[in-house]
Amino acid sequence: MGFLDAQFVPALDGVAYGLLLFVVAAGLSLAFGTAGVLNLSHGTLYALGAYTGAECGDGTWGGFLLGLAAGTAVACLAGVLLSAATAPLARRGHLAQALLTFGLALAGGNLLVEFFGEDEMPVPVPGVLDSTVTLLGHRYPAYRLCFIGMALLLAAAGTWVLTRTRAGAAVRAAADDPQMLAATGISPRAVHTGVLAASGALAGAAGALGAPIIGPGPDTADTVLMLSLVIVVLGGLRSLWATLAAALLVGEVQTLGVSLMPDWAPYLLFAAMAAVLVLRSGLAAEPETAAHQDGAPSRPARALAAVRAQVTTGTAELTARLTGPLTSRLPARLRGPAGSAAPFLLLLAVLAALPSVLDAYSLSLVGYALALGLLAVSVTVVTGYAGLPTLGQAAPFAVGGYATALLAEEGWTTGPLLVLLAALAAALFSLVTGPAIIRARGTTVLMITLAVGELTVTAIDRMGWLTGGTDGLVGFPALRWLPGTPELLDERQLYGYALTVAAVALALTLLVLHSPAGKLLTGSRAAESRLRASGHPVGRYLLVAHLGAGALAGVGGSLMVTVQSYISPADVGFETAALALLAAVIGGTRSVLGALLGAGLIVFTRDWLAGAWPGHAPLLLGALFVAAVYLLPRGLAGLLPRPEPGRPPAPAKTAAPRPAERSAT
Amino acid sequence: MLQLTAVSAGYGGGTVLHGLDLDVPEGTVHAVVGHNGAGKTTLVHTVAGLLRPAAGTVRLAGADLTGRPPHRTARAGVGLVPQGRRVFASLTVAEHLLLADRGGSWTVSRVLELLPRLGERRGHRGSDLSGGEQQMLALARALLGSPRLLLLDEPTEGLAPQLARMVHELIASLAAEGLTVLLVSPSPALAAACADEVTVLTSGRATHHFTGSTVRADPSALHAALDLTAGGV
Amino acid sequence: MSRYEDAAAGTAGGEGAGRAPAPGKALGTGRAEPVLQLTDVRRRFGSLTAVDGVSLSLPPGARHAVIGPNGAGKTTLLNLIAGTDRPDSGTLRLDGTDIARLGPGRRNRLGIARSFQQPTAVAELSALDNIVLASWRHHGTGRGLWRSPRRHRQLTERALRRLDEVGLAPVAHRPAGALSHGQRRLLDLAAALSGTPRLLLLDEPAAGLTDTDIARLLDVLARLDTDTAVILVEHHSEVVARFARTVTVLAAGRALITAPTREALAHPEVREAYLESVPAEETP
Repeated sequence: MGFLDAQFVPALDGVAYGLLLFVVAAGLSLAFGTAGVLNLSHGTLYALGAYTGAECGDGTWGGFLLGLAAGTAVACLAGVLLSAATAPLARRGHLAQALLTFGLALAGGNLLVEFFGEDEMPVPVPGVLDSTVTLLGHRYPAYRLCFIGMALLLAAAGTWVLTRTRAGAAVRAAADDPQMLAATGISPRAVHTGVLAASGALAGAAGALGAPIIGPGPDTADTVLMLSLVIVVLGGLRSLWATLAAALLVGEVQTLGVSLMPDWAPYLLFAAMAAVLVLRSGLAAEPETAAHQDGAPSRPARALAAVRAQVTTGTAELTARLTGPLTSRLPARLRGPAGSAAPFLLLLAVLAALPSVLDAYSLSLVGYALALGLLAVSVTVVTGYAGLPTLGQAAPFAVGGYATALLAEEGWTTGPLLVLLAALAAALFSLVTGPAIIRARGTTVLMITLAVGELTVTAIDRMGWLTGGTDGLVGFPALRWLPGTPELLDERQLYGYALTVAAVALALTLLVLHSPAGKLLTGSRAAESRLRASGHPVGRYLLVAHLGAGALAGVGGSLMVTVQSYISPADVGFETAALALLAAVIGGTRSVLGALLGAGLIVFTRDWLAGAWPGHAPLLLGALFVAAVYLLPRGLAGLLPRPEPGRPPAPAKTAAPRPAERSAT
Repeated sequence: MLQLTAVSAGYGGGTVLHGLDLDVPEGTVHAVVGHNGAGKTTLVHTVAGLLRPAAGTVRLAGADLTGRPPHRTARAGVGLVPQGRRVFASLTVAEHLLLADRGGSWTVSRVLELLPRLGERRGHRGSDLSGGEQQMLALARALLGSPRLLLLDEPTEGLAPQLARMVHELIASLAAEGLTVLLVSPSPALAAACADEVTVLTSGRATHHFTGSTVRADPSALHAALDLTAGGV
Repeated sequence: MSRYEDAAAGTAGGEGAGRAPAPGKALGTGRAEPVLQLTDVRRRFGSLTAVDGVSLSLPPGARHAVIGPNGAGKTTLLNLIAGTDRPDSGTLRLDGTDIARLGPGRRNRLGIARSFQQPTAVAELSALDNIVLASWRHHGTGRGLWRSPRRHRQLTERALRRLDEVGLAPVAHRPAGALSHGQRRLLDLAAALSGTPRLLLLDEPAAGLTDTDIARLLDVLARLDTDTAVILVEHHSEVVARFARTVTVLAAGRALITAPTREALAHPEVREAYLESVPAEETP
């Protein structure tokens, strides 16, 4: 009894927290499950509602209700705009959406801070509720109790609409078969807009109501988004009850869990998420391929097809118009397959010439961009070549980086050896995580790898005795090329080292990708069933690719440590993983050169351009991503001469399932 | 009622229908028969607006439907019963009826009168119905839009014979009420059972025309047109 | 009947299996050990039973067609044999070995090759590369990701010959995505053939082909190794009639009849079932 008694308050807090998350996650799940929009700016909509609520709140009921109404309305409107913004991307899959919504989240978060300031805002609640009540002998804030009631009401209302009304039926029908919904006379576009508006309204209402619980601040959006993603993954997309259960579970882990086992709670969420996903994809793997063969793709299979289509294809008139003049001016020789090395040699020449024109600071930024570029290339290998969209490559990047830092601290200062050991450590790490990843496809991979990345960062954070915890590692001895050669001290020397290592690593990567082995990988992604039917162990190829990409990311991590002489969890967290993925997507998803340039563009925008406008790096990055989505549908690679002349534009129709054209047999 | 003029259509660059002309007068049942891959479903999709034709025009009662999105053609009076039924897996029968009811001459009670079986299965999800029940539900869904033209894509596919016969009778009774019907099927039997006009589609082109009565009197000519006579195999 | 002496196949139709020969006992002379033997194979998808107790026995060199209306379970049956799908019950044997638990890759290396209903090729690789990939693990070239330049040259030459056989040599260096539908079908066929299989599964190889392509297809099929057993799923009656020596008619997941081709196609019940897309209520 004593135990239960002691944990009563955290447990009740967990319920309030869980219900709050449920309302947010239900909106995310609705947008993804029925409108197919992977909305990474959902947390920002919550923050929008929370800031609006806090701004309107003045301790009276009037102010509170005004805040709720205004917060809901503003987020609802944002949802409508999001619907309009994502509609043109319908055929381009989830990576394009992720690029757009992540960009919007960055820019939106920056603007919110701009308007409302850097500090967490205090949120006044109506006077009556600003007190405590006694519950089973415990004093408990009245507002939280009231919030539990309001959240339950909101959840019940939402459930009623979804399961008992014509509009709800239309939403679920749109998830089942949008074409047939249209043939029934209801515009799927209208449903799409309605769903995103409702999703936004839910997030806004949750923000306004929940502001006293998860208050508005610079980190609010990220926290809410992460927890909602975990809930959506744990609960699946099919059942609101499962989402509710997952939300309460997450709420309890965040409150009761932290209270009971502070050491383990940080791992619990993402470990549970990874476990659920791996089990689910393991179970689903075979029926999924079977459904593919049958020509009657299941919903996950269709989502997968869409993601894969995004990864494998992607074409637009705009790029044709942009590239037309560019390519036509290039000598024919450069456009042939033999010319595919030419752009790299050109880039290498430019990079090699930089030390003579750039100052030390800019040069170290370019060095950092090379490290991030290797990470982005490793993402390209996994995402573009192997077809496994990943948010987890920051993990082997971290392993490589920390391995380098720790070994250097131990006195191992021979650079090339350190790079090899970093690559080896990262490859081993990828060997361990690979089997959990290679069975899944599509967005499931994104979520598993997200969990892997978060678990890795959490582990680094918690293992302070080895990694220095949040403070990171700093102050290790300088590297040398070989034992006995002079230390690499100034930026120019370090840059030369970084460029040489990166060039060798990239040359190896390109050699492998352009060898027959690279074709095997391409085949595994583009025609998996054909390769399997021709006797290929596709899973093994994917594992090897994952391993190799891990090693490459490890080299990148090693270079980052060398260039900036410092590493901390902030360098290898979700943001780095997301930027690397987006660099790869901006680059064209399947272009090594594009990924390098994408990483360069991101570092240039975030660290150099933003230097002229301090505090606005997220806004600039966000603008870059949004612009890239619309202006570069084929990525930066679309601006380069095509390596294969005469290749026709890939048919966009692969993105759209055509069930009726396939026989049911 | 329905008028197709020189319609060409296909998927992703490939052309399946080649300049098809088709005229379905009001109140008649027109059957299009052909082998798999002949373009039957492409034809249905083009009329329903699920596929934009590359060339030609589609008119319904004089109104140009060419290239209109499917929800607009549906509102203009095209009711689709697609191949494979495609009922909404997660919606109950009652929700299908609620969703599809557009308040025209066909009401839920009238549809349930025609298809009483659906009334007994109101609370069941689309995915839990048998093939025959799904076919009825797909038909009910199309009828509730009070269509002027009913498109039926292989309505007896995979159904047991007595159910298939029931579908024949349903089509006949709907036609008797004056509904215009365009049905496509690989099966000459379905066409023979209820069509006023029969068109044979071969590789996206209309190759033969028969009247329903000729086919009923002597199906061999139609079989020959389909290359299905015993001597052909 | 002597024409069909060497062709043999036996099947049983689920619960209505009164006329079923014992599994393994072939319809014809039954002198050879069967290459493929299915016994009472079932596969359900939710409430739908796609394959409902099919038994089948094929000798080496069989030319067997599976026909039936859409939704009869033909492709599911091929998937079960190829290993992309696993049966809920029943046994599958290849040359006497139980293969029911093996994946498609493993089964292919044991000698089962297939073509797909939707031709599957790597669109961004050349036709030639596609065939090289398809034969990568055959002809004793090794297992891993690496091929020596000499081996690779051999693979390429062999692939080029394969393409020549199906008439695709002129477009060998074109990306597969740039080929016409008919060419992609033939490419898929060439990919299936490139391992010199014991058992070849063809899923509607003639669908969407022009008459010229069909003639080419029949020509390629006619030149198949006489030892290779073939299962052909096809709607095109002429292709079935010209290629298959025996036929199984599948309806609603069950084998309606298995007999020499002419006999099976002339059977009134079969004609009704096949042509009307309706399974017969009972078989004679």
